[in-house]
Amino acid sequence: MSRSVQLSSSPLLASKTPVWRSKLIVGAIALGFMGLIGRAAFVQVFENDFFKRQGEVRYARTLVLPANRGRVLDRNGLLLASSVPAPSIWANPEDLERDPAKLRQLAKLLDMSSAELDKKLQNEDKTFVWLRRQMDEAQVKQILALDIKGVYSIKEYKRLYPEGEAAAHIVGFTNVEDQGQEGVELVFQKQLSGKPGSRRVIKDRLGRVVEDVGDAVPPEDGQDIQLSIDSKVQFFAYQKLRDAVQEHKAKAGSVVVLDAQSGEVLALANYPSYSPDKRVNLSGEQLRNRALTDTFEPGSTMKPFPVALALEKGLVKPETPIQTAPGRITITGSTITDAHPHGVLSVNEVIQKSSNVGTVKMAMQIEARELWDMYSAVGFGQRPQLPFPGVVSGRLRPYKTWRPIEQATMSYGYGISGSLFQVARAYTVFARDGEIVPATLLKAEQKVPGVRVFSADNARAVRKMLNMAAGPGGTAPKAQTMGYSVGGKTGTAHKQEGKGYAGKKYRGFFVGMAPIEQPRIVVAVMIDEPSNGRYFGGEVAAPVFSTTVQQTLRLLGVQPDMSVKPQVVVKAVEESF
Amino acid sequence: MTRLNVLLVLAVVASALALVHSQYESRRLFMLLEAERKEAARLEVEHDRLQVERRAQATPLRVEQIARQQLQMRMVSPAITQYVNPPGAPAKGAGAQP
Repeated sequence: MSRSVQLSSSPLLASKTPVWRSKLIVGAIALGFMGLIGRAAFVQVFENDFFKRQGEVRYARTLVLPANRGRVLDRNGLLLASSVPAPSIWANPEDLERDPAKLRQLAKLLDMSSAELDKKLQNEDKTFVWLRRQMDEAQVKQILALDIKGVYSIKEYKRLYPEGEAAAHIVGFTNVEDQGQEGVELVFQKQLSGKPGSRRVIKDRLGRVVEDVGDAVPPEDGQDIQLSIDSKVQFFAYQKLRDAVQEHKAKAGSVVVLDAQSGEVLALANYPSYSPDKRVNLSGEQLRNRALTDTFEPGSTMKPFPVALALEKGLVKPETPIQTAPGRITITGSTITDAHPHGVLSVNEVIQKSSNVGTVKMAMQIEARELWDMYSAVGFGQRPQLPFPGVVSGRLRPYKTWRPIEQATMSYGYGISGSLFQVARAYTVFARDGEIVPATLLKAEQKVPGVRVFSADNARAVRKMLNMAAGPGGTAPKAQTMGYSVGGKTGTAHKQEGKGYAGKKYRGFFVGMAPIEQPRIVVAVMIDEPSNGRYFGGEVAAPVFSTTVQQTLRLLGVQPDMSVKPQVVVKAVEESF
Repeated sequence: MTRLNVLLVLAVVASALALVHSQYESRRLFMLLEAERKEAARLEVEHDRLQVERRAQATPLRVEQIARQQLQMRMVSPAITQYVNPPGAPAKGAGAQP
């Protein structure tokens, strides 16, 4: 027992240090804990928001969800404009890897010379330079495969227009920022563009999205816009117009095809046109939507209107004889002449032969106010209800300021002006048995009520005159088609230049409808400055009318109303009993 | 008493690990879902692009050229069209009639 050691009394363990030292340690540790508790309270309670935010900044991201631009469709749902992805390439010159071999390859893929590329990249203070926007996806993949540091791609969209130049003036185009610039793209920018959405997500170290935070705002895609245009009719109309303008060495031309019953625009084309995909060196000439924005004096195409009013007022009947000899008439000192003097003509023949004198004689019997009312009722001097940039109203002066000679010239289309579109729409009044409907560029869902201007009988009577004008002995036998009866009025107008009329500059028109008994379409054609010898509307514009009507009625499935000598070979097999 | 505490500690640790695992799993699955969504969006865009392309291949201009030049076709005209009226419908005097 004596060998055992009593630990409690070991001298080695006997503390010789003073008590204050242990107390100091305890105190210091306690203080340390106090500090930690204080810091914890600061982080967790007082400045909690700040730290939370700082944390989120490091892992949460807001992603923009882009909205797709709506498509433009024709009346049958065929695409006229649609967006496709077209990535853009940009570079950061500040930290660009300048490897000459790679840059040469890059320049080649970007389709530019090395010097051009160098010029873009020379400013090393910049941190963002577009190299090329809206490229093909395949090319962009090749560029990214070069793996040049400081060259990046960004997702963008490009508009494609499959119909190309045929529908360019209707559809228009967007700029590189996807903003509508012309045509339908501009008019319906709001509906087409949509609203981008957003979502908040947590990303991991590798940039992968691992969690959604809160609710996402879904993007609202742009609406599709369905037009009343029929792309086949549009194409044929454009093609025939282009051929005619080139054949007659004309400056320009326009054609409008309207559905006579609903007022829908089936086609509206101008030449010269442009390709909306490749818009380099565009001139104002090409961009002009002439059918809507150019006004001109419609010349003889005006004549059916005062004649219809004269019928309406009971002043004449279609067979009433009118003396047009000796082919001129003098009104307050000014003389109006006919191109060819005729003798006594019936009202029907006045339109058929396009006699100025006959028309003027009828118009002078009508009060100016009544003429003015009728002209504005059919849309002259009124801006067409088309939501289109640059649509013009034309000129129809208030009747109180008319001088007698003006009332006379207006009846054959001088001293009054309108666009080709207005003239085409005005003719729907005859096609729809005396009623006029608002024209529309959007597909009409239901039948629209019209406003009555003339009685149905008088409208039919005028249609018969128009039919005669397009027949043998009329001014435009070239307007005839195979199988469909047509009716229409030619016009050849001197062009106004400055204050007077240009001597040898003309516009040739033809406005008409088919089939004449129950008109389905109204077609208006204008050829500006034909300079290949012939310039009469019946020579230059009527053939375009004829082919356009032929194709359009076939496409619409309208059955011919005239019998045609069949060329169908029917194989007859004799029946055996 | 001690035994119960140990048991509770073990239970807490186990549930914490389970939470970690399920969070990990949920993120992994979410990532897969995200990748599929991206693919769906890509395919949709591709679909749009192909539609445009198909349309571009079938514009009236191209159809007409090929029909005329390669297939030696010509425009139909009422002279070579026979219109058939459904029985009962009033026959309109129209087109080529044999």
